[in-house]
Amino acid sequence: MQRGRSHIALQRETPYQGTASYYAYLMTERPQGLPEEAREIPSVGFNDYVGPYYRLPDAEDGRLRRFAFVIAEKHMNAGGSVHGGMLMAFVDMAMGQTSRAETGAKGGSTVSLNSDFVGPGRLHDVVEARVRVTRRARTMIFLSAELFAGDRLLLVATGLWKVLGAP
Amino acid sequence: MSGEPPFPGFVPTHLIDPFEIYVGPVFEAGTSGAKTYAMRIEARHVNRRGVLHGGMFMTLADLTLGQAVWDATDKAAVVTLNMQCHFVKSAVEGDIIEVVPEFVRRTRALVFMRGDFTVKGEIVFTAQSVWKLLGQS
Repeated sequence: MQRGRSHIALQRETPYQGTASYYAYLMTERPQGLPEEAREIPSVGFNDYVGPYYRLPDAEDGRLRRFAFVIAEKHMNAGGSVHGGMLMAFVDMAMGQTSRAETGAKGGSTVSLNSDFVGPGRLHDVVEARVRVTRRARTMIFLSAELFAGDRLLLVATGLWKVLGAP
Repeated sequence: MSGEPPFPGFVPTHLIDPFEIYVGPVFEAGTSGAKTYAMRIEARHVNRRGVLHGGMFMTLADLTLGQAVWDATDKAAVVTLNMQCHFVKSAVEGDIIEVVPEFVRRTRALVFMRGDFTVKGEIVFTAQSVWKLLGQS
């Protein structure tokens, strides 16, 4: 094995394949295939680690809120599809953002989430979340969401959120 | 990344999915079919409020229940059809989450799983999932 500074420099350029830093290294610029109007959502912590996530313009007079991410190497499972955990993480973010926007609250926390994995997502697919509010009460909000890659349905979810610090 | 086992006697779970490698590591102890899985929450797993992100809870559930299905089916090709999750209590950075996946029922084509996820013995999250054995009808 080569030792010394040049070896360290080489490691920095190309992290070892299959490690967490390798998958992070593959995520560099704005992914291809995103709609022009997609705007990156500033994120911290886990959302920042697994993202980036994007906001798309609302539809249906604001009743349908839309979000997107692009499937990268780090999101995959060994079978060549996007990992179910990543789809649930994305839909949780999209439904959480929607509940905050609907209520004007400081935050919210997921109480329950039910996910049906309808179809597989593939590498480089642009996944779009379409989120609707089913019912909004004072401190609780019921939501539903669908994830699409083009016209292929990937996931259907329903969830319940607790609103924190409602105005 | 902390590669240290959270408890003595735990070893790293062998992960092959890129997403699981990316968010891991996860550790395990015990014999096949009755394993305990454990994970230490780090800064990259939490949200703006400093509590474990729901997406990470659900990823951990898919990972650990899936590992248990694999153990029970001699590493058959399986996919998650459905997952239901209840977020009972928040968990924070530094907490160690444990789960002993439970088998509810196995048919020719399906495996029904559930798990109670605990921190210091207290339930913080529950999940149940239905798995499909590919190629079985």
